[in-house]
Amino acid sequence: MTAVRTPPPPRLPVRSRSEGRGRGGLSPMLTRLAAERATGVLVRERGTLHLADGLVVHAESPSAPGLDVLLTAHGLLGADDWGAALAATGDPARAGRRLVDAGRITPGALELCQLSALYDAAYFCLAPSSTPGRFRYGAPADPDGTADPAATPPSGAARPAAPATLMFRPLPVAALERETVRRRDLLHRIWPDPRPDEAPLTVSARTAPPALTRRQRTVLDRVDGVRTATDIARELGRLAFHTLVDVRRLAAAGVLDPGRATAPPPAHPYEDVVPAPPPRAELLSSDPHVTLLKRLRDALEAL
Amino acid sequence: MPGIDECLLEAMRLPGARGASLVDWTSGLALGTVGESPGGDHEAAATEAAEFARLAAEQRAFAPDDDPGGDPAAGADPPVEDLIVSNRDSYHVLRFVGPSFDGSVVLHLWLARTEGNLALARIRLGEMARRLVLA
Repeated sequence: MTAVRTPPPPRLPVRSRSEGRGRGGLSPMLTRLAAERATGVLVRERGTLHLADGLVVHAESPSAPGLDVLLTAHGLLGADDWGAALAATGDPARAGRRLVDAGRITPGALELCQLSALYDAAYFCLAPSSTPGRFRYGAPADPDGTADPAATPPSGAARPAAPATLMFRPLPVAALERETVRRRDLLHRIWPDPRPDEAPLTVSARTAPPALTRRQRTVLDRVDGVRTATDIARELGRLAFHTLVDVRRLAAAGVLDPGRATAPPPAHPYEDVVPAPPPRAELLSSDPHVTLLKRLRDALEAL
Repeated sequence: MPGIDECLLEAMRLPGARGASLVDWTSGLALGTVGESPGGDHEAAATEAAEFARLAAEQRAFAPDDDPGGDPAAGADPPVEDLIVSNRDSYHVLRFVGPSFDGSVVLHLWLARTEGNLALARIRLGEMARRLVLA
């Protein structure tokens, strides 16, 4: 009997301490802001980073699930509880703190979710972008975290940066950049083609699916030609980067279509159910050697 | 109720404890570290612990008999509770921090073999992992 297995993922890369220093990091502007201990919000193409005294205290990205998703998806907290805390405080960081004070979640759960969400969103914020980032200086409105947010006078400015005290462990820019580089490296080692990261995912036509891990199977169950990795992460309440790891492993195993035949977004709202593209003839080949060679070619082209 | 650092400091109070860390085993990121690190580098130790934890969590052979491996909706994630490694001078205990948070975090305790009590450490680490996330 021939057992088909997914190829084992490559070893996790170790952060290189010297990397990034000579090159000025991923975002020269961010490096400069850290050096001048700036406070404010950096808006980049794929997300925003909040700084306080040059340290990163908050990050958000449309590509990564927020604190609310992580806290409510696994039974730690009911969605109603979160909604009530958010309504009472007006901002996710304060809502989290309020839930801890009320004994609804442990400090450990909040810290785990905050820290993981920050690294997760920062990965996308620091992604290569085609437009320059913009920084808005702004002092935290509420440095000690005790004032009632409803009593904060409307200053006319946009929302202030999250105060440093609400993040239990503000992160140095250099540490965040190093981790982001390491994560890119990890994904690249698994499968060098980044197309499945953002495109709607489709299952490739193949005869024998390999043995999958439970986490991969839950991801694969949601692949329908419409959802992206981000959509799936949000539905499962998982970190977006973790889902990208699973998606790239599935792509490397040949289970997911690498995304060459991504359908354009539908022109008419009534046609929004996109049928799966017809299976490509080359993938219908029953000869495993041919399939392997095609995948190898795809991977090499993507390098 | 402890936060991450309090949880790690509590683990360090176990007899023989040399170092403790909380590691995300999908990315290999150390979410918190206290004390010494095996091999002298916390970040490298975290990625190595993550490799080990991931392998154990993903192999069907290490899951319990009644684990519905094919059914993603049921069963605990991950199916493994903890991992133990011993060598000439130390023990390592890795405890999975339950499914209540993405199921991808492990608590890693490094114990000196002469002073460490493996049975006690295993029980206490289980309690700490539960209390870390469950209110």
